[in-house]
This record gives sequence, structure tokens and C-alpha cells, in this order.
Amino acid sequence: MMSATRKLTSVRRDWRERDVRVVLAALIVAVATVATIALFASQLQSTLVTSASAFLAGDRQLESENGEPIPAQWREEARSRGLETAQMVEFSTMVLAGDEFQLVSVKAVNKQYPLRGEIEFQKEPDASRQMVSRGPEQGEVWLNPRLLKLLNVSVGDSIEVGEKNLSVTGLLIRTPDGGFNMSALSPRIMMHAADVAATQVVQEGSRVEYVNLFAGEEPALESFYRWLQPRLGPSHEWESIRDGQALSDSLERAERFLLLGGSLAVLLAAVAVAVASRQYALNQRDTVALLKTLGLGSRSIGRLYLGRLSLWGLAGMVGGLLVSLPLFWLLTQLMAQALDQPVEPRLDVMALTPALLTALVSLFAFAYPPIRRLRDVPAMRVLRSQPGEAGEKAWLDVVIAAVAVFGLVWLYAREISLVLSLLGGMIALIAVLVLLGWCLVSSLKHMSGGGSAWRLALVGLYRHRRASLSQIAVFAMTLMLATTLILVRSSLLADWQAQLPEDTPNHFLINIAPDAVPEVEGFLKARDLPLDTLYPMVRGRLTQINGEPVREVVSKESDVGALNRELNLTWMSDLPEDNRIVAGEWFDPGQTEGVSVESELAEKLGVDVGDSLGFTIGSDTISEPVTSIRTVQWSSLKPNFYMAFPPGGALDGMPATWITSFYLESDEKSDLNEFARQFPTISVLEIDHIIERIQDIVRQVTQAIEAILALILAAAVVVMAAVVSATLQDRQREGALLRTLGGRQSLLVRSTMLEFALLGLFAGILGVVAAEVAVWALQYRMFEGEFRWHWQIVVPIPLISAVVLAFLGRWQLRPVLSVSPMLLLRRLE
Amino acid sequence: MNQASPESQFSPQSIVMLRASNLSHRVDLGNDTLTILQGVNLEIKRSESVAIVGRSGSGKTTLLGLLAGLDVPTEGVVELDGARISELSEDDRARMRAQRVGFIFQSFQLLPALTALENVMLPLELGDHKAPGAKARELLERVGLGDRLRHTPRQLSGGEQQRVAIARAFAADPIVLFADEPTGNLDNQTGETISDLLMALNREQGTTLVMVTHDEPLAARCQRQFNIDAGRVSEADQAAVEELTR
Ligand SMILES: Nc1ncnc2c1ncn2[C@@H]1O[C@H](COP(=O)(O)OP(=O)(O)OP(=O)(O)O)[C@@H](O)[C@H]1O
Ligand SMILES: [Mg+2]
Repeated sequence: MMSATRKLTSVRRDWRERDVRVVLAALIVAVATVATIALFASQLQSTLVTSASAFLAGDRQLESENGEPIPAQWREEARSRGLETAQMVEFSTMVLAGDEFQLVSVKAVNKQYPLRGEIEFQKEPDASRQMVSRGPEQGEVWLNPRLLKLLNVSVGDSIEVGEKNLSVTGLLIRTPDGGFNMSALSPRIMMHAADVAATQVVQEGSRVEYVNLFAGEEPALESFYRWLQPRLGPSHEWESIRDGQALSDSLERAERFLLLGGSLAVLLAAVAVAVASRQYALNQRDTVALLKTLGLGSRSIGRLYLGRLSLWGLAGMVGGLLVSLPLFWLLTQLMAQALDQPVEPRLDVMALTPALLTALVSLFAFAYPPIRRLRDVPAMRVLRSQPGEAGEKAWLDVVIAAVAVFGLVWLYAREISLVLSLLGGMIALIAVLVLLGWCLVSSLKHMSGGGSAWRLALVGLYRHRRASLSQIAVFAMTLMLATTLILVRSSLLADWQAQLPEDTPNHFLINIAPDAVPEVEGFLKARDLPLDTLYPMVRGRLTQINGEPVREVVSKESDVGALNRELNLTWMSDLPEDNRIVAGEWFDPGQTEGVSVESELAEKLGVDVGDSLGFTIGSDTISEPVTSIRTVQWSSLKPNFYMAFPPGGALDGMPATWITSFYLESDEKSDLNEFARQFPTISVLEIDHIIERIQDIVRQVTQAIEAILALILAAAVVVMAAVVSATLQDRQREGALLRTLGGRQSLLVRSTMLEFALLGLFAGILGVVAAEVAVWALQYRMFEGEFRWHWQIVVPIPLISAVVLAFLGRWQLRPVLSVSPMLLLRRLE
Repeated sequence: MNQASPESQFSPQSIVMLRASNLSHRVDLGNDTLTILQGVNLEIKRSESVAIVGRSGSGKTTLLGLLAGLDVPTEGVVELDGARISELSEDDRARMRAQRVGFIFQSFQLLPALTALENVMLPLELGDHKAPGAKARELLERVGLGDRLRHTPRQLSGGEQQRVAIARAFAADPIVLFADEPTGNLDNQTGETISDLLMALNREQGTTLVMVTHDEPLAARCQRQFNIDAGRVSEADQAAVEELTR
């Protein structure tokens, strides 16, 4: 007998069952989707962080502004902690070539530079650009291409930097830390740090910046900083990539998107496995009944099914991994192509955990309860079992399983607001579904079919109301998840586009003397260059809060970069367009008192409206009450200020220079030479490369997001197919019977397609409503965007879903149509 | 003989309801073909009840399917109520079935999602009947299930399910009823009840009944019997049959 039961439950026999194959397919899709997204997200994150840290050319940077070199023992300490280090020196000086001379900003680097990213370099003006991982050799210098004309030299000539002759061996296009440093002067040249001493330009007390770069593992960096912090002086500035970087906003949101994508994948996967495995479990009831009549105890049955489910789970996981790994590899290759640089596939094993857990949890949470319940029922009752299950208990199963699945999402995303948003969407969905179910039942109750496809379709919906509603529920959930992702994606892309539009100002003019302002305006106007607002700029330090020295008020642990350096203070009468007041009031016209503080800095300093701030500007000190706190779009790459005063306020009469930005197309670059000749004292800061770079990265992230969206949509289609195929047998039998009873094929086709189209329409409407609820919550909590209805996305989705489902319905009818109705006489299932 | 249309005939009894001429059926099994039926000729008159008997695997179900137009023969012609159904299109055959043919299956073939009433309403709805609910209820009452209208097949016993199937078969007022082992899945006693019901309804409605059965008493209650052996059909001598079963 035992061998008979074994045969009855043998793996090979199982494999021949369609239910089992569907479960396996669902498991494979589940594991593959979640694993691929998780792997890819982790890869993307590390690649993007590398891209972003390339803005520093390292993971951290220590800057010394006081003209004192950074002690060598600090670097030794860093190396002993397993960090890499690189050094550079930055200063401005005149360079000479024959009769021509020019003020340049020098970046002298040692051979370790850069630790992150690469230098873009050109051998000759016409040669192709190439990426190199180290700077010029000793005795060599690379020039900004504009300098060739300004100095009238070409590659191969030599120039004088102070007392040292250096030969020009190439053109410097872009450095990874092509920084956004207000005091940097252009054009830039790059030389070897070992040649600096020989130039004799840098002397004790001259204005020079010594910079050390560090790179390595995060814990090592942090422990080094803990060691370093007490040793830092006021002129030292420790910077990490995330400090006020233009990119960090975009990256953070991309990361959140990936997190959301992954969470949705978890949910979708759970739905797929749940539907398939529950169907399997319910269909196993006959087998369980048979086993019981054969005398198998309920405990053995429980063990038997636990064993099988584990086996299928294992097979699904292995299969899923086998699918996801090549997919992941393909995605990294695509990313490498988009990035135009090799990407090392980094297999993050931890990223696989949620995938495997998702598969197992949803398999057992949804498949086991019905079997477990069945095994407690006496054999006789099992044989005469009623269709469906006791309603309340099934509900309890679903609730328990849902808790398990949302627990998984939480485990994956560690973001309670995300879980709550999605849960909120689901609850909205179920609420509307219950309402819809009630409407369906009460409005169609008295309908009876009659020849026409419409009536047959409606009657079909009513008669299969239980199956219809649960199918609508699953379709709607699937659509909700997919729609949520589509909606978040498009608002993300729109935000990014708004952040850095095509004509973002890509050049800054700094150090404009007050009397030069009209001339500069005239120069730009003559060339039809749109000029952004001109801002005055006064350099000063924040020294006191409410009369107390800043250093004492602000705890040492909070690492406030703005305290370590001079701030750019400004005055303005109008609030810049992209700033927003979050507390207090903007200056009234004519008001001269007060200062407006950027919100993040205010939070770090613990400063609120009404507190007074003291600044040291040169030899003067001023003190002003905070009258407003405002947010600033750092990512806009426009002149932005932590501190803004009213015109005629405390800054009145302080030594100010002016700053502005404008957009210049790359083929108009020669205008800059003329500008530099006409205004030798004004610094031109070229950030066009930075902007291009950020736009590049945003483009990559966009592609990654599209890829993930495609993956999710594919998974959604699989879920839908799994749901449809769960009732395939019933539907096919019904189709065959209707044909035998004389239903014409065309009638059958039309009524089935209509019925499914209605299903799809309802599910689509539900899904879209639930998605809007979820997106509203997400937007509010996670992406800080403003919520708006998305008609153009939202309206087509129910229509598309109706059409897709109609064809799925048509497709499942296919075997019924192609085979003669003889089928029924032959008693095929 | 009776080639003219049925309406022009004087006596309905004399009209051939079903005729198979030189019917052969073969199925392709990849490398060779299996001949299931070979040169079958038979005639069944209006309101006759006919039993088809034979060993298992002899081709009874196949023959029934061909006579009912569920499948088309490899060779030969089937005429049902004067129409050569073996030459009709699938849709025309479907219309024919909806209007004139009823079925009873060994495994009942009720739709599990529908109630007894809804199952009986199905053919009425397909045939665009005016009041499918009332007619279905009437039929279910006739088969003794007036109090089980709202029950689904799984809540009914096998005999009850077959009674629902019989009600469904008679719902569209068919002129021919095909049954494939209608009592095959039932115990003797229940089988007998079902047989009684079937014969009674057949008499009342004047339906032509073609039935495949292993159930000898049931076969004996039919007016004629055909025997299938090795793909060939022969009519049993009624007198001899009666003698045998006496
Ligand atoms: N489509 C087919 N493909 C292959 N073999 C078939 C096909 N249809 C029928 N057969 C074979 O033809 C023979 C007759 O089948 P049929 O179902 O008509 O027999 P039957 O007399 O009804 O048997 P039973 O009494 O067991 O129901 C059987 O051997 C069957 O296997
Ligand atoms: Mg048969």
C-alpha cells in the first residue's frame, strides 16, 4: 500500500499535473524577478556611488585652506587602516609662454590621483578623447584647450609655471572632481605634485589648498574619521560625497525607486505563487481524500505535503536563480554600454535572500493552509466534501498570508511608510472590490442569458461571481502594482527633466567687481547669451548662535561642513523661484533686518526663526535674527546660498563681488576666450562637463528604471496568465459542453471575450484607483513630490487590461474551438 | 425511400429520423491508422428507441458521436431529420444540435459552478428561449428535484446529478436524444430509476432515443438493438433478444 501511495504522490506524476507546472513557473518567475531586481539594484547602487564619488575623485576628501600642508602622518594612519590615499595641491598662478601670459588655476596631483573615476584627456586638439587613470608625469603639464589659443602654444611646446619649465604633453578635458568650487579659477592646468616645489610659486602663507583624498571600505573610512576628527583645525574641511552634492537628490530618489520596484516585485511574486499554489492545494483535495481512504494518517499526509512543497520550492528557487543570473549579467552589460565604461558584475549574495524568502513564504503561506485543514477532516467527509471552503477560514488564511507577505516587503525595504502605502492601496482595492461584488450580484441576479453574446457574458460573470471576483482581485492587484511603478517612474523622470533642463546655466562668472557689472551684462547681451540673475556675494563665517560661539552650541558629532569654511552670504529682494519658505516670512519690501537660512543647515545647527546668528566678515562682525527658513534646490546647479540677507541689510557696505550663471552651447566656447581677455580678473567657472555628467547619470538611471519596469510588467503578465490558467480546465470543459449543447463558435468566442473584457475593465479601474491611492501616499512620504492625477496614464490602463484579458480569454478557449465536441463523450477532464 | 422532406410525409412513424450510409471512421495514430468503424449502415425512425451494445472499445461512443454530429466520419453520410449533417459546417451542426438534439453523458457533465437550475437553463439560453427559468424549474420538478434547484452538482448525489442532466437534455425539446451509458456510473437501483425516467420522458415527448449501454435490462426496454463488433454493426433480431432476456 505504501508503494501505491508513493506512486500516487510521486514526483514524476506531479510533474505531469498542470497545477504543479504552474506553481513551478510562478516560483521561477518570482525568484527570478525579485532576485534580478535586487541584484541589479545593489549593482546600480555601487556603480552610481562610484560615479558620484568620482565627483571627489575619492570616497572622502580632506581639504586644508590655511596654506599648511596636511600632516603626512594622517595619511599614514589612513593607510594603516586599509585606505588608499592621494594628494593634490591647488593654487592660482600666472603662466608664461613667450610673450603671452595668463592667470590659471593649477591642480597638481601625485601619481595615485584619482582614486575614483578617470581623467578625460586629449593628446592633440583633434585627437579623440580618452580616459586615463593618472595625471601627467613629472616635467609635464596638461592644459585646458582654451589655453592653447590664449598662450599661443601647441602640444610639444613648453610653458613656464613660476620658475619651472614644463612641457605641454596633452589637453585636460575634464577631471573626475571637476568640482564646483566657487573660489576655483579657470582655465585649469594639471601638473605633477612633485614639481610644485620647483615652481617656487607656493610659499608659506600663499593662498593654496592642500587636498588629501581617501578611498576604501565604509567602516574603515568611518573609523578613520573618528580618529581624525579631534585633530582637525578650523581650516580643515572633511567632505563626503553626499554633502550637498548636486547629484545626491537624484540618486536618493533613484535608490528609492529601486527599492519600490523591488518591493513591488516581492508583492507580485507573492501573488503569482499564491494563486498558483493555492490552486494546486485545492486540487490536491481529491488526492488527500484518496490517501486518507487508503489509511494514511493525517500526520503523514501533513509531512508528505510539507515535503513536496519544500521540493517544489527548492526546484523553483534553483530554476529562478538559473534564470536571474544570466538576466542580471545582461543588465550589467547594458549598463556598461550606457555608461561607456566596463562594469564589474558584483554578485551581492545578500540581495538574493528576499527572493528566496518570498518564494518560500508565499508558497507555504498560501498552499499549506488548505491542505493542513483538509488533513484534519475525517475521510468520509473528505470524500463528500463540499465545493469551496468554509469562507471565514479561507479569509483567515488570506489575512495571515498577507501579513506574512507585507512582513517580507518590510524586511526587504525597511521602510514602514512604503509598506503602509502599498497596504493602503490594497485595502482601498479590497473595499472597492467588495462594493463592486455587491453591485454585480444585485444587478445581475435576475438576468438570464439569451442567445446574445452580451447577455451570456453578463450571466457568465454573475454565475462565476466567486471566481470572477477573486480573479478581478488578483488582476487588480497586479495592475495596481504595475501602475504604481509606471506612475512613480513618470513623475520621477519629469522631476529630473525639470531639475536639469537642456538649457541649464553651465557657466558661472565669479568675482565680478561691482563696477564691472554693467560691462559684463553688455558683453553677454551683445552675444545674445541669456543671463541669470546677478547675486552679490560676501564671504564670511558663521561664528555665533544667540551670542554663544558656534563650536560650543553645535555638538561635535554633528558634522556640519558649512561651519568649517567661509560661507557665501548674499542679499536679495525676491525669493528665488525654486526656493520655498518653510518657516517665518520672506523679507517685506523695504525691510532691512533679518537673515533667511537654508532649511537643512538650520536643522543641523538647531536654529529656528527668532534665533540670532553672528557672522565674522573680514574684521567686522554682524548679528541678525533669523526671519525665515527656506529650502534650496541644490541640485539645480544655480547660484544657491545658505544665508540670504535683505537688500540694504546687515551686509550693506561689506566688500562684495557679484556672481551669475548663464548657458553657453559647446560650439560657442570661443566666446570665453574673448571674455577672459576683456575681463582678466573675473573667473569663469565651466560646469558644462558636470552638468553633462549628471545628465548622463540620470539617463543611465532612467534606463535602469525602464529595464526594471519592463521586468515587473513581464512578471505581471505572467501572474495574469497564471490566474487565467488556474480556471483553464473549468473554462474549457464549459466551452466544450456549450458547443455540444449547440452553442455556435462565434457566440462562444464573443461571449467569452466580452466576459473577460469586462473582468479586465473592472480590474483595471480598481487597480488604477488603488495605484493612485498608493502613489499619493508614496509621493507624500517618500518622494516629496506633489501629488497630481495622471489622467493620461490612468485612463488607458483599464482599456488595455480589458483588451489583453479579452485575448487571454480567447486564447484559453482555443483548444475547445479547434477540437470536436466529441471530447465530452470521451470524458476528458 | 424517404428522401422527401419530413413535413410532406403522411405518417411520422414511417419517417427515417437518422440514417447512416456506408459510414467508416479511422483515426490517424502517427505511423498507422486505426479503423474504428467500417461500412456502417443503419436507419432509425422517428420516436423509436434504439440501444447500441457491444464490447468495450468496439466503437459505440464513436458511432454515437458521429450520429449526433459531434464529429465527422472519415467516409459516408449521416442524415439527421433529413439534413446531411456530415456535410454541414461546424456552426450549422451546432445550430442543429441546439434545436433538435439532446445529450446525456455517462459522467453527467454538469458545470460545477452552476446550480441545478442554471445547468438546465443553459441549452434554453443558447436557444434563445423566452422564459428559461420557468421551463427549467418545470423540468426539474418533473425529474423530482423541485426542491434542489439552488444546489450545485457537488451537493447532489450521482443519481440526482444524472436526473439534472436528463432535465437538461429534454429542456430544448429535442427530437433526438443521444445517451452514452446514462446509467454507467450508477448503482443498479438508481440506474433503474434513471431508466424509468428516461423511457417515460421519451414516451411523453415522442423523442427519438439513441442510447449506448451495457445495462442489459435497459437495452431490452428499447424497441431495437444494434450490436457493434469489430467495427461492424448488425441489428439484433428483436424476437431472439426478447427470448434471450426473458
Ligand atoms: N481519437 C482517437 N484516437 C485514438 N484512438 C481512438 C480515438 N477515438 C477512439 N479510439 C479508439 O477506438 C476504439 C473505440 O472507441 P470508443 O470510445 O468508441 O469505444 P466504446 O465502444 O465506446 O468503448 P467503451 O464501452 O469502453 O466506452 C477504442 O479502442 C479507442 O481507444
Ligand atoms: Mg464509450
